[in-house]
Amino acid sequence: MTEVEEPAPPPSNTYIIRPNFQHKFRPVIVKECIHTVLQEQLADKQYQADEVMEWTKKISDDIKRKLKDMGYDRYKFIVQVVIGEQRGEGVKMGCRCFWDSDTDNYAQDIFMNDSLFCVAAAFGVFYY
Amino acid sequence: MDNDFQSTEETAFVVDEVTNIIKEAIEGAIGGNAYQHNKVNQWTSNVVEQCLNQLTKLGKPFKYIVTCVIMQKNGAGLHTASSCFWDNQTDGSCTVRWENKTMYCIVSVFGLAI
Repeated sequence: MTEVEEPAPPPSNTYIIRPNFQHKFRPVIVKECIHTVLQEQLADKQYQADEVMEWTKKISDDIKRKLKDMGYDRYKFIVQVVIGEQRGEGVKMGCRCFWDSDTDNYAQDIFMNDSLFCVAAAFGVFYY
Repeated sequence: MDNDFQSTEETAFVVDEVTNIIKEAIEGAIGGNAYQHNKVNQWTSNVVEQCLNQLTKLGKPFKYIVTCVIMQKNGAGLHTASSCFWDNQTDGSCTVRWENKTMYCIVSVFGLAI
């Protein structure tokens, strides 16, 4: 079998309707990636209202960058990060998606310490 | 993108329209209720479900992601940020922050053109 490497197509309609099996969005791997970023950024942090805004941006950007480097062709990514102060309040986060469950997927991870909690969710949506 | 038909009003992500849908969904699901631990599960699912229902009824060529956070008010802070890798021309997002006396509700909708 011979394999011919073609240059990446322009982002117009290529009529590719399914991701290559190797390039499917895999929640387990992405979750690991999110986990590393959260540990890196928050391991020794305490909640500080004026800095948290920066952290949320930094973390979401970091995760997005890592996802882009993971070689998921033709996937669009959405990364959402929520950081809250830990004061014993009740929080509930939910999500629902209208998409192609065959190609699209999401992964999420949670980080918690005594003063803050952080939820990061990454969605990968295939662009046909 | 060079497909002109993709960006007309009828097939574009209209933020105002989506904002209204979100607000109505929150009002409908939570309204004036006070924070109750055992109800929150139900509320979050109702909000996202209602949003998605209305969004699909628009009949636009989009995939949607709806997230909802409900947090009890007790003086604690909450921040959220999102980062997206997509086509700026066609895709869009919309976030609504809503509160009553006892809780905050933050709903984000992301629309990705097919």
